[in-house]
Amino acid sequence: MSEPTILLPGDTIPPTLLPSPASTKPLTLGPGLRHIPPSTITAALSGPLHTDPRKNALWIENNGGRYIPVAGDLVICSMHHSSVDAYHCVITPYTAPATLPQLAFEGASKKTRPVLAPGALVYARISVAGKHMEPELECVHPGTGKAEGLGPLKGGMVWDVSLGMARRLLLPPGKMREVGGLVLLEALAEKVRFEVAVGRNGRVWVEGGSVGVTLAVGRAVIETDEGGLGVEEQRRLVARVLRGM
Amino acid sequence: MPAPKTTLNPLRRPDGSATHSQNGYTIIGAVNGPIEVQRRDEIPDEAAIEVNVRPATGVGSPKERRIEQVLTTLLRNIILTHDYPRTLIQLTLQILSTPSTHSTLPSASSLPVLPALINTAYATLLAGSIRLSTTLAAVLVAVPKRFGKGEAVIVDPDPEEGGSELEAVARKGGLHVFAFDGRGEAVLAESEGDFGIEDWEEACEAARGVCCGLQDESPDVMEVEGAKRSMVRGLRELVKGEVEKEGRWRGEG
Repeated sequence: MSEPTILLPGDTIPPTLLPSPASTKPLTLGPGLRHIPPSTITAALSGPLHTDPRKNALWIENNGGRYIPVAGDLVICSMHHSSVDAYHCVITPYTAPATLPQLAFEGASKKTRPVLAPGALVYARISVAGKHMEPELECVHPGTGKAEGLGPLKGGMVWDVSLGMARRLLLPPGKMREVGGLVLLEALAEKVRFEVAVGRNGRVWVEGGSVGVTLAVGRAVIETDEGGLGVEEQRRLVARVLRGM
Repeated sequence: MPAPKTTLNPLRRPDGSATHSQNGYTIIGAVNGPIEVQRRDEIPDEAAIEVNVRPATGVGSPKERRIEQVLTTLLRNIILTHDYPRTLIQLTLQILSTPSTHSTLPSASSLPVLPALINTAYATLLAGSIRLSTTLAAVLVAVPKRFGKGEAVIVDPDPEEGGSELEAVARKGGLHVFAFDGRGEAVLAESEGDFGIEDWEEACEAARGVCCGLQDESPDVMEVEGAKRSMVRGLRELVKGEVEKEGRWRGEG
């Protein structure tokens, strides 16, 4: 793979860098890009330009900044307050709270609804998002009515990680090692039992059954993120963490 | 002149932060946004921008309020505010250190610190992944009195080395601050002192050279010349370094 082009805001993307001009699929612009009609594409963020010829898509990889809600993303949010028929949850600090209808949980009805106290953690999917309105959340698959792992998170502890790390952790298991370069969780899971939930908003929830395991796993994730550890370094880290337990 | 020095994301808590040194001033900036905006500041279809400038000592004065006004107006044209409707982008700039000659300059003069503030603000927004329409680079130009009789314009003067010179210009010449966008167009021009229109034009061209460089600058040419790299190129290298640091895990294993 060749070195990706580093772009600064305002840079025009030359047509030679577009994935495939002959593709039948429409060109998809990901985060960090801006289309100025009729046919100019410029960068709006700084970072390396990535392209996917198969999906005819291009985007700018960016690790920093605040999470902007996008429909379909899984997030870990904390309950702020509840109103008559909805909970209001905070996805990122100091932003307008998102609404989580009280009936958007598995098996919830008007008579049986989950009770969440302010400050409770919820693993939810963003169902509606747009720049002009507050996002809406759901803890149930709208088609099947099943929770599929979503819902209130009990116990455990939450850590903040960078948005890039959250995206890597959310890759499907098969891709996590190849694309994301992550073996940490797999290697840890061979020896200890723990539960992890990853929110796209840069939050990782870990429940290890005991305080020691929870802290060890959470701190290993943080260390991997901050140090940018590669696969071998992650294995060494896991060995060290396991020795300390 | 020591080259302007920038680091991205020295702070952990804010969404984006940067430190920058230029003309003897060191400034740290932090941005939070888009965040919830107070009802009275809310704009229905674009983001409100709040800039706070804090001096190295003491609390802010009308001078800082004026600088904030200049920066807010400038940044509103650089940030894609329509992408963040009904939100607030809050930028705080703290002056960490001033050159020793700072106190000898006329007290009303806000220009020597302005380029450092503008460049810090831009680096901070870049680090905070705020969507921007273009790049921005600002520079200070001093034009001594009786320019044209052997005295040249001083671009990006260093107050530590040529402190008395800068002071003399500030008292008996013209001080200018220019900011240029990615296409080399001036987006800010602030001047004070005694100068003519030829001085101003000369200063503007000199500033453009430092900020944007030549249009056809190629990497090879710049490697040879070394010191004469434009500020936009410096920004590009800064981002490249940051990307390499963040993508460190790719190279391992």
